[in-house]
Amino acid sequence: MLEMEALQYKGFRNLYNDAGEAIGFQVGIRFVNYRGPWLSQFRFDNVTVDGERFGADKCSFVVGGIEYTYEEMLKEGRAKWPLNEAAMIRVQKPGGLASGNHVVSAYYKEIASYLPPRLDAMDPSRPLGGHEENTGYTREFIIV
Amino acid sequence: MAKTQKPGIHRGVSTYCWYPLLNVNMDLEDSFQIMQDMGASGLEILADGIIEGYPYPSNAWLDKWFGLIEKYGIVPVEYGHWVESRVYPGRECSLEESLEQLIRDIKLANFLGFHCMRTKLGVIDETLTPVKNWREIIKAALPYAEKYDVVMLPEIHAPTKLKSQMIDDYCQFIDQEKTTHFGFNIDFGVFQDKNVDGTPRRGGFFGEPSQPEDIVPLLPYVHCCHAKYYNMSEDFEETTIPYRQVIQLMQDHGWNGYLLSEYEGPKKTDLYHCMTQVHRHQLMLKNILGE
Repeated sequence: MLEMEALQYKGFRNLYNDAGEAIGFQVGIRFVNYRGPWLSQFRFDNVTVDGERFGADKCSFVVGGIEYTYEEMLKEGRAKWPLNEAAMIRVQKPGGLASGNHVVSAYYKEIASYLPPRLDAMDPSRPLGGHEENTGYTREFIIV
Repeated sequence: MAKTQKPGIHRGVSTYCWYPLLNVNMDLEDSFQIMQDMGASGLEILADGIIEGYPYPSNAWLDKWFGLIEKYGIVPVEYGHWVESRVYPGRECSLEESLEQLIRDIKLANFLGFHCMRTKLGVIDETLTPVKNWREIIKAALPYAEKYDVVMLPEIHAPTKLKSQMIDDYCQFIDQEKTTHFGFNIDFGVFQDKNVDGTPRRGGFFGEPSQPEDIVPLLPYVHCCHAKYYNMSEDFEETTIPYRQVIQLMQDHGWNGYLLSEYEGPKKTDLYHCMTQVHRHQLMLKNILGE
């Protein structure tokens, strides 16, 4: 099952390489919506943790069990974002996140062709997440 | 009207009523059980949010679907889907790319047992004018809709007016093609004349609401409706839309089909609120229809 909020607690943890070194972290997201985009309709700006901003060049996206770069997603118009599971944003950050509290934000949305084209633009001045009823694009999580 | 359906107006529910709660507080079987509780047998799904693995569901999911349909006596009425025009950055989909989406959905809707499709086309402006080549797209899909026994229905939704060029264009197309496989789903929000707080709803983005009688000349083209509700009172009345007038006109003119509850009011993430509102709405429809 999913949490109501856009950012999911489940899945939030550091990522390690085969040598056991922390190479980054991941955070789960979902669309609180009645439809998911084709992957090429996903728009992403950044994940920000405790004020440190990570753009698309530092992230990959695990959607439906498959890992994509942002550029790969923009070309994938035949795979659908699964609404019933969280997608994981994997963020490159050598050393990972320290144990303790972290304030995490994610800025992303979907393109919807049934809405006016004006709404396709990303507005960096406000949090995004796919639908106006989304209750959380920023949450505080704990790394153990 | 679905071919297996008895004459008259019937009650149904769109899963839109509780979409934020799905996969959080409830699943598809819960939806079906609630519909059975209310005696609302007609179902609308939003395909890509309900069909696991959409557009290629697994055999396991299909087995679950048909099992639940039978167990709860659900009638698949309307299959909600989108023909996306802005799939790739910087360009509009070609006719072939649009048709690929639409034909795939026609086949899937048919396989799952639906006869109506809420076909949402891409739009090009603030008043939701469809893509310029909508006639080409729909015309090319008509033979598939005939073969697979479905009717494609744009949802006529505020701020669109029932008296408007867009509606005239659609009617002209239907008459020219002499087709029964393209028509309308009228969203009752077009009649909304009050806000949830009781103040009149006039001007601004939505302009003047359509009048109840505006639906009459369109009824031959209407195959099902989104019975939109924003605020159900404790005495089982919708406070923002002139429901009784609209349904009376539909009954007077012998319309047959499903009214599908579609909640678009506040607190959609509140399970108790959504359940209370949908039960009140279904009881209002039951009262009006004289069941």
